[in-house]
Amino acid sequence: MKRAALLLLILASTCRTAQQSNPYTGQTEAVMAGAKLYRAHCASCHGAAAEGHETAPSLKTPRVHDRSDAALFSFLTNGDLKGGMPSWSRLPDERRWQIVAYLRSL
Amino acid sequence: MLRLSLISNVLLALIASLASAQESPYFVTYNHHMEEPGNFEVAINPVFGVPKQGNRAVASYLELEYGATGWWTTALYLDGQSTSRESSGFTGYRLENRFRLLMKEHRINPVLYVEFADVNGADKISKEIVGFDGWRDFIEPVAESRHEKKREIETKLILSNNTRGWNFAGNLIAERHLNAPPWEFGYALATSRPLALAATAGECRFCRENITLGLELYGGLGEEGHVTLHETSHYIAPTIALGLPSGTTLRVSPGWGLTGNSNRAFVRIGVSYEGRLFR
Repeated sequence: MKRAALLLLILASTCRTAQQSNPYTGQTEAVMAGAKLYRAHCASCHGAAAEGHETAPSLKTPRVHDRSDAALFSFLTNGDLKGGMPSWSRLPDERRWQIVAYLRSL
Repeated sequence: MLRLSLISNVLLALIASLASAQESPYFVTYNHHMEEPGNFEVAINPVFGVPKQGNRAVASYLELEYGATGWWTTALYLDGQSTSRESSGFTGYRLENRFRLLMKEHRINPVLYVEFADVNGADKISKEIVGFDGWRDFIEPVAESRHEKKREIETKLILSNNTRGWNFAGNLIAERHLNAPPWEFGYALATSRPLALAATAGECRFCRENITLGLELYGGLGEEGHVTLHETSHYIAPTIALGLPSGTTLRVSPGWGLTGNSNRAFVRIGVSYEGRLFR
């Protein structure tokens, strides 16, 4: 029992907890900053207008729009390493939220 | 060699200015951030060594890195050196592979690093410090040391964490000649943070969001059967990186020896350009 509790504690400590709401919601400046970040990091795969390419899907679909901000943030953070989407954890949280703000504006 | 290195740096910077980078500011320490799948990075990294005795040297390595998948990054390094009042030349190559072990982001993110190196004894890039590496390795005449063949396997356990804009990384290094034990051990620790966490709305080059400051601490830990800090060399190196919107990253890191066995100083410079190889 003690071992199981210890294991749970270790697992809990290794899992990251994400902020649930976007601190930049409704901020035009953040959307513009997110657009800049999108051009720098995402456009080469998803296209300049997020229309998608052979290598990466369009981001203007209900599949993206129907997701919550927290889900988009989590996907940016973790990526889908086996599916070809890189993890963007190298960008600070603030910048990933700015990208989410931009994706919401599309 | 020095002239060649400078020319190639300028050329690389010019090429890159035609094409935002957010590369790690570290030279020695690795973190868990992999090359994006399909991305190719080319980098020139000159290292200026100031030994306690003997001739000053500049070593340089050309790095060609490719993101094979989201969890696998592979790289080829071509090494060279130039020692004042001695000679210049190619010193060997290294093949590196990094495998991210966990597919999601965790508090501690492990990466396994495996490298094969075929270099000669004149190689001075000091990309890592292991065993009892020290300033005496730098004073052996190049004419003699270049005849020494080193075929080595090197492994690293990379542990890395991102918290509130900070990156913390630690590497445990084990290296040995393919046919000559023992294993030699080393470590590298580092932390870094961008000067500004959020991006600004406008395009900018020399703004705080593009600048990352870091600090590295690395050194040897002795060898198999004799793990110790005694007679090993250790360095502390602040580092600064400027990521430009073009995809270019400029990095500089002066490092100072902390123990009697260390070289006096290293100055590392890096210019890298990253872009997609296939669309």
